[in-house]
Amino acid sequence: MRSLLLVRFGEVHLKGLNRPYFMHALLRHIRRAVADVGGEVWLSDSRIFVSGADDMEECARRVCRVFGVHSVSPALEMEKDDFAAICEQAVGLLRPLGGTFKVAARRSDKRYPLDSPAINGKIGAYVLAKLPHLAVDVHAPDHRLDVEIRDKAYLYVTRMPAVGGLPMGTNGKACLLLSGGIDSPVAGFMVAKRGVALTCVHFHSFPYTSERAKQKVVDLAKVLSGYCGPVRLHVVPFTHIQMDIHRLCPDNLGTLVMRRFMMRIAQRVALTEGAQALVTGESIGQVASQTMEALACTNETVTLPVFRPLIGFDKSEIVERAETIGTYALSSLPYEDCCTVFTPRHPVTHPKPEKVAQAEAALDVEALVEEAVAGIELVETGATGAE
Amino acid sequence: MQDAVYLDNSATTPVLPQVWARVQAAMAEGYFNPSAAYAPAAAAERALDACRSALRGALGARDYGVIFTSGGTEADALALLGLAGARRGPMAFYCSAVEHPAVRQAMAALATHGHSVAQLPVDERGVLDIRRCEAALGEDAALVSVMQVNNETGAVQPLAALRALMRARCPRALLHVDGVQGFLRVPIALQRDGVDMYTLSAHKVHGPKGCGALLVRPGVRLAPLIPGGGQEGGLRGGTENTPGILGLHAAVDALRGMPDLAVALAARKARLWMLLHQGDGALAVNGPLPVDAESAPHILNVSFPGVGGEVMLHALESRGVYVSTGSACSSRREKHSAVLAAMGLSGDRLDSAIRFSLSPLNTDEEIAFAAQAALALYAQLKDYRRR
Repeated sequence: MRSLLLVRFGEVHLKGLNRPYFMHALLRHIRRAVADVGGEVWLSDSRIFVSGADDMEECARRVCRVFGVHSVSPALEMEKDDFAAICEQAVGLLRPLGGTFKVAARRSDKRYPLDSPAINGKIGAYVLAKLPHLAVDVHAPDHRLDVEIRDKAYLYVTRMPAVGGLPMGTNGKACLLLSGGIDSPVAGFMVAKRGVALTCVHFHSFPYTSERAKQKVVDLAKVLSGYCGPVRLHVVPFTHIQMDIHRLCPDNLGTLVMRRFMMRIAQRVALTEGAQALVTGESIGQVASQTMEALACTNETVTLPVFRPLIGFDKSEIVERAETIGTYALSSLPYEDCCTVFTPRHPVTHPKPEKVAQAEAALDVEALVEEAVAGIELVETGATGAE
Repeated sequence: MQDAVYLDNSATTPVLPQVWARVQAAMAEGYFNPSAAYAPAAAAERALDACRSALRGALGARDYGVIFTSGGTEADALALLGLAGARRGPMAFYCSAVEHPAVRQAMAALATHGHSVAQLPVDERGVLDIRRCEAALGEDAALVSVMQVNNETGAVQPLAALRALMRARCPRALLHVDGVQGFLRVPIALQRDGVDMYTLSAHKVHGPKGCGALLVRPGVRLAPLIPGGGQEGGLRGGTENTPGILGLHAAVDALRGMPDLAVALAARKARLWMLLHQGDGALAVNGPLPVDAESAPHILNVSFPGVGGEVMLHALESRGVYVSTGSACSSRREKHSAVLAAMGLSGDRLDSAIRFSLSPLNTDEEIAFAAQAALALYAQLKDYRRR
């Protein structure tokens, strides 16, 4: 007998001929997640198993955070021939619990001498005799004891919901515009969950934003890399662009012109990094630069698709997700990430494309983008990174 | 670019080589517990007593008790909360409106314990307004706590006038002076000046962090905040920080051995202001002018109108000049300085304040470099105001 984790994978099941590709990726990521707690990972009978870690609870938590994993059950693996021992372990698993239970048996080994209803009945009766404080309820039990008869027998009572999604890297790469705020890390997480690898771009306006503000973004990238593997952060020097905009463009269009620069530079980074899309944390109407007209105006500067997974989210919903992912506390640190000097008091909310084009005509857009891209500083975060 | 110019000595000071030599020796050879019974331990105890004597000598405090603490904040807390703990019933505590949070927060704690707490008014330079204090100070006062030198403006508080007022109005009240920013740079004699308790910190005078002291006039009874094993006359439990205390002793010896320390500091500070003022007439001093009698020789607070303090700080950082926007402890949390606000500063003047704080290690060249850098950056940045 030994304890192990039984790992279920959600959507990977739905894949057709590509399934081995997804399975292989999923196995690799689970192995990576549990490597330093000593977990051993294998595939058997279309289930993934993990065992042998020093700290199985920590191991389970880590597996739950691997994209593509649907749920995890800490289980007992036993010899299926000793039915008396199975009954005894069933009692052991249910003893600390109260209320009602049911036994749910399944056997993929059809030669097993007992069929599923018989297993349910026998184990249920044994448990009831030993644990009189429990009662059976087959419709809405408080606890469900699963018994799976495969090449071995597996018993478990808990199902830990996991993050879901698809294995990392099975759906290409995208470039996330990562500020120090609450929204963009959540947007990055949501896209990464669908199996997309991330590369990040951050705009840094020293001396208007500080070294600490930059460190905060590095730390955010590090949190993301905990889910989606190594993340390369491109820190773009942005002060010169902001100063030129401030000097040469009408104040009320400043933010829009600035956002357009950000998109152009992000696309440049995406193309050199082999990313196929841009990701932003925008949500309709959240701020002046996120009205539909403003989004259209920034969108037209790029040709890559722009994913905005938070587009229909309220701020409170985004905050909730940020808390779950573990980025909220970091995002809330008080370092400025976009100095108020450059925030117009009365930004345009319904920009006219020709006005924006006119404003931009005062700037040498190509040269400014070129200069910013040339000054990019790379920070590697996550498993293979230095951070 | 030349080496870093460190002008944030009110946050902390570089440790002198003779100090770290002494600290290292205390760790390598003098590691014995001063409370132990054998000869080397007795030597460690004697070394602590030698430091006590040095502090008494430096502060004109013959017969005063010296309680070593973890630093200035703990010494302030011991003076205020320790006095409240040693007496029965509610008492009346007073402090100036520009105290360091170490005192302000201790006062707030006293208020929650049912004591009455009140503030003494300051003028627009942050100097105690003795005339208005007369009305503010109650006859029932048990303790008045006023800093020797303000940490943000360098205002030297009129302790002699305050003591005279206390003699007339509340002769039984004790006077506590937070000397963290004044110690060894502004002269004081505790016995002569009627100071009952005095706080000092090692790392503000080129000593190690984690070490400070409270000097207490004989006859003043305190209760310990940390009971423990009876060290420091039962007033501060815990094995003494011998490396820190020996380092403090070395720092005191070093600074007292510098001839005309205060004069040299004051000359550099005056020069810094002269260069800044001649360079741009829009700059303004917050607190006493360098020529004023109430101006400490090492702290200069200047507003650069139109440029946010944090922006100026980071811009100077990019030239290798380190300064501060307020006290280091608060600049990461509060948006504005409570001290400058208490002086009636508001708006742009408040937003754009920068604190330069000097040490005897700064050279004339460094002062000239810092002034030149500040002026050049200001000329660049002041055009980028929020419109």
